Amino acid sequence: MNDNLQQQLIKDLLVESFDALDRFDREMLALEKGEGNADTLNIIFRIIHTIKGSSGCIGLGKVESVAHVGESLLSLLRDGKLKANPPLITALLEYSDALKAMLRHLEETGEQGKEDYTALLQKLQVLQTGEPPTAPMAAESEGVYGLFEGPETPIGIPAAPAVSAAVAAAPSATAPKGAESDAVIRHGPSVSDTAIRVDVTQLDRLMNLVGELVLARNQIVQYTAESKEPTLLNAAQRLNLITTELQEGVMKTRMQPIGNVWAKFPRIVRDLARELGKQVQLVMEGNETELDRTIIEAIKDPLTHIVRNSVDHGIELPAGRRETGKAEKGLLILRAFHEGGQVNIEIIDDGRGIDVAKVKEKALQRGLVSADQAMRMSNHEAFAMIFLPGFSTVEQVTNLSGRGVGMDVVKTNIEKIGGSVDVLSEAGQGTTLKIKIPLTLAIIPALIVTSGGERFAIPQVSLLELVRLEGEQAGQGIEMLYGAPVYRLRGQLLSLIHLNRELKLEGGRRGAGAAGAGEAAVNIVVLHADGRQFGLVVDEINDTEEIVVKPLGKQLKSLSCFAGATIMGDGKVALILDVLGLAQRAKVIAEVRDHTLREKTETVERADDRKTLLLFNAGQNSRLAIPLSMVARLEEFPRSRVEYSGDQEVVQYRGQILPLIDLAKFLPHDGEAQADSDPMQVVVYSEQGRSVGLVVGKINDIVHQSVTVNRQAGRDGILGSAVIQDRVTDLLDVAGIIRAADPSFYAETKNL
Amino acid sequence: MGKTVLTVDDASTMRKMVSFTLRGAGHDVLEAADGADALAVLRTRAADLIITDINMPNMDGIELTRRLRASTSYSRTPILLLTTESDPGKKAEGRAAGATGWIVKPFNQAQLLAIVAKVLPA
Repeated sequence: MNDNLQQQLIKDLLVESFDALDRFDREMLALEKGEGNADTLNIIFRIIHTIKGSSGCIGLGKVESVAHVGESLLSLLRDGKLKANPPLITALLEYSDALKAMLRHLEETGEQGKEDYTALLQKLQVLQTGEPPTAPMAAESEGVYGLFEGPETPIGIPAAPAVSAAVAAAPSATAPKGAESDAVIRHGPSVSDTAIRVDVTQLDRLMNLVGELVLARNQIVQYTAESKEPTLLNAAQRLNLITTELQEGVMKTRMQPIGNVWAKFPRIVRDLARELGKQVQLVMEGNETELDRTIIEAIKDPLTHIVRNSVDHGIELPAGRRETGKAEKGLLILRAFHEGGQVNIEIIDDGRGIDVAKVKEKALQRGLVSADQAMRMSNHEAFAMIFLPGFSTVEQVTNLSGRGVGMDVVKTNIEKIGGSVDVLSEAGQGTTLKIKIPLTLAIIPALIVTSGGERFAIPQVSLLELVRLEGEQAGQGIEMLYGAPVYRLRGQLLSLIHLNRELKLEGGRRGAGAAGAGEAAVNIVVLHADGRQFGLVVDEINDTEEIVVKPLGKQLKSLSCFAGATIMGDGKVALILDVLGLAQRAKVIAEVRDHTLREKTETVERADDRKTLLLFNAGQNSRLAIPLSMVARLEEFPRSRVEYSGDQEVVQYRGQILPLIDLAKFLPHDGEAQADSDPMQVVVYSEQGRSVGLVVGKINDIVHQSVTVNRQAGRDGILGSAVIQDRVTDLLDVAGIIRAADPSFYAETKNL
Repeated sequence: MGKTVLTVDDASTMRKMVSFTLRGAGHDVLEAADGADALAVLRTRAADLIITDINMPNMDGIELTRRLRASTSYSRTPILLLTTESDPGKKAEGRAAGATGWIVKPFNQAQLLAIVAKVLPA
């Protein structure tokens, strides 16, 4: 046999055998669960039988001899002479591993390997109830080939139907006369007719070419847009359509069902569960969900890690589960589905969940957070810490899922392909990991922006919204917080990055600064990375476009701000921004975290989390705040409606009498009432069916943030002060004020 | 003058090996992945020799042999079975079904050419 053919045959054998052995594992597991049938045994046997036959023919003696031992054992199993039991199945799975290892070695080195499988093979022989396997190469007395009726059988004479009694007894009733055509009709075109194997590099090349075509198409479409030649326009339009279809078609050829990755999980889960003495039921939903093969490759390891983690750390031992009233068998669900142009993968277990206290303790030990920070951390923030480098919550790192790779690597790998991972957990109930990944990496929708005269592409997956500040807003909308520009978007602080400054671009139109007043509009691209939002200030927002991602050359690979490059319709290159890299470089993500922590550390009165506050002024107290939760309604009353009940100002409000408290009069150091403001601004406060109206000057804003209250003694009606929106703001002691103004408010219902 | 040979095996490695060897000897080679597939191929193309594996999904080589022998067009066409040591019983079964001869896997190119030459005189 010539070398080329030999190589080709080995390659085929490898591809076929790896697939077949995965199938072997799956069928074996089905058998173990008692879901197997006669066909299962047949399939298992045939897989090994085929490997043996093929490897023998291409001179892989060692693979063949190992396969042979399994084959004899499996033939006993198939013929019912041997019963499948757990030790046997375990041994056979080990055996499948050994074969895979040999084949992998063959793939990598071209050699069959020197690994000694004698022990395993002996084990299989013992399981075969003592019957030793026959040597594979033992020459049969009749020779390697022959004719049934002697070498001189004349061609053309039908072989005599020598039906022996034994054969007649065999079930041959399945072959009625004329069944030939039946078979053809039943089976139709077989798989080998409609499916072919294509080399992956070939597909990659095609994808590349389609990418180039898309670029050329974009250019042509752009040029012809100015043309008035109807024939040219027509042709361009057709080119446009066909290219799009071609692109979709080629993309489809690269799609693989996620089930390909999942196929090995039953085996992993089973082995791990056995080793740990756990019982785990693995449910997989959405096997057929398709993903680009590059993405399939990229998520293989992270997913495996998560699955191992769930079994190892998540699901409890049967005894422990029984104690907490759960079924002894743990449930692990893998679910995949398409949603909004992305693939969602969920890994759900019903195990012990993540112990928040333990996570915090560990983070403290590792010096990742301070004691104060740990205490104030929300559960969700605490869960997110499992993704920090070097984090592990299990006291003794088991050798099962330890292995030096942590969840941080999982997260990095998923984010590398533009995905995100989120964790939800409830103590005692289980943990859910949600992964979102793009369908493909080759061609992505992106927003094109201009900054400093250069164009940049921002992947649409990171994009949340666009904000344009015009006129007065452009100057005043942007505030400074701890020396960093921020914008308040619907009450949420948004850290800003100026792309011009970050990339040190020349000729940025707004190089002056965030608060520089009187300038033209400010364009903010609101992005999210690492679960946080930030705003990117750019000169101009152009358009959204499908772009072909080209990797950066190795000289530029180290730049964390860029994910790649693309060629625009006019033939110029635009860099693709790496949103996460940019945010990390500009430190917006880290800084925001610091601010929150710092604010929390300064807390005297412990606000458990962020609060929504109503900001207003009254008299000379220009900045006052009360929690929005205390506010029933905001009302306006014309001054003419004010009546008196005794010396108490009241208004009729919704069939009740609403006593009014003028804060300007009430609060210390404030001279006069706001007689000039008409209508009055009234904050209606309700408690137990009774209401009181607080007359204020002007309602300013509603903010949502964590508040640090510094208690100050000696000021009536003020709880303390806090820095809100970078300014000192007094927090109103509503209960105190009401008590002072209307002592009866909190008393028993009084009779009118 | 080359003849047309149909090789039936679920392992593409085996099919390639057989077809490479026989093409080298000047024959045309058709391929099928199992018994049912072989019958489908034979509906449209004629073969002078069929070399089939025994253990295959959908329809095994024994059944294929039986069906071919029952048909009018292939009642006399030589059929060679690819067998393995581990199931010697199959050889008897194949003989009963009407196969012409056998080759034990693994075999080399010379062995294959030798048996083909016996059943396909030039």
